[in-house]
Amino acid sequence: MTAFMQKALRRETRSARSLLAVTTAIVAALLSIYCVLELLLAGLGEPTWLVDPLSFVRWVAELPNGVQPVLLVAAGVLLALVGAVFLGHGLLPGRRARHTIEDPRVAIVVEDEVIASSLARRARMAAGVTREQVMVTVSARTVQVQIRPTSGIPLSEARIKDAVEAELAAMSLDPTPTVTVKLAESGVIGV
Amino acid sequence: MNGTPRGLNRVLLSLAGLLLLAVGVGLVLIASVPAVERWWQDYAGAQVDWLVDYEQRSRLIVTGQSWVWLAAAAFFVLVVVLMVTWIANQGKGRANTLVAREGNADDDGAAGVVKLSSAVAEQALKSALLERTDLLGVSVTSYDFNKETALRVRVLPRQGVAPHDVARDVGELVAALDELLGVEVPVLLSIGSAARSRFTKTERVR
Repeated sequence: MTAFMQKALRRETRSARSLLAVTTAIVAALLSIYCVLELLLAGLGEPTWLVDPLSFVRWVAELPNGVQPVLLVAAGVLLALVGAVFLGHGLLPGRRARHTIEDPRVAIVVEDEVIASSLARRARMAAGVTREQVMVTVSARTVQVQIRPTSGIPLSEARIKDAVEAELAAMSLDPTPTVTVKLAESGVIGV
Repeated sequence: MNGTPRGLNRVLLSLAGLLLLAVGVGLVLIASVPAVERWWQDYAGAQVDWLVDYEQRSRLIVTGQSWVWLAAAAFFVLVVVLMVTWIANQGKGRANTLVAREGNADDDGAAGVVKLSSAVAEQALKSALLERTDLLGVSVTSYDFNKETALRVRVLPRQGVAPHDVARDVGELVAALDELLGVEVPVLLSIGSAARSRFTKTERVR
């Protein structure tokens, strides 16, 4: 595994924040275009469209006056929340639901959903139940297998766990998750 | 694995976040704390007085208006241009040439360049992968990333297909490709779930 590949894998497992970046850029550009329009109208001495720049600056400078305090607080809280979301997007690692598979030649990333459906199939075959009775949740470090047994047919938790763990070991994921198997108390009938 | 400026995205989003947070907190303080309200009106009022004064002193003869507004308009035009550039930089980095090797007369007897188009590797891998029935979708693209050209193979397997089996088979195809091309191109395999694989059943009879 070369340094190049490690870099590529690092990028693949983290969000690029493109969506929010593009949205922000579009909103900022539209606001700027409106500002250009009003400023040009003011600069050429033409009648304004919505508000002329000087009155707007005055309104901002006298701010608590002329606006209901409740409205101002609400607007402030809303802006601060949006700001916190932006800051979170900028600073948090933004890991995506993906694992990497170790391989000497090819850099491999797998979405957790693919891992989950593969493990669900394995657990279903080990337990001998239908696909509706199995639910698998994959997160970075844990795999949760939930099975509702068919009423009257006992299932061995250890056997299912072994089967799922064998499948996971064959995948050699990074980071390696641990498996927990949960059998539901009540069974289902009519499957 | 493309040329999206991730660092820039994060820096700009953080800056925007800090700005919004500051304005939001400022609004709440102005509306709720009388001392802050008085300070803000004094401070901003002085700035507005200065602006009005300067605006009146900087009238242009041609339009009879201050050039301050035109300068501010130019600034916002610059902002628009920067925002458009920022958008245009997302997801860039597609490559056309996979390998370019220059020969010279002293080395191998022929001057010139041998260029392998990305389409060679892309189509070779794609046609080999499309034959498989356990994959719903295959796309192969090449990117210039970190001063190297790399192939990105994206496969969308059916539900329940073991990812390491797909990975092993793609690995064999890549080994064959290495032999075919004579150079080892970095390859990234991305195994994802197609929206279609969630709705199609692998077995119709139970």
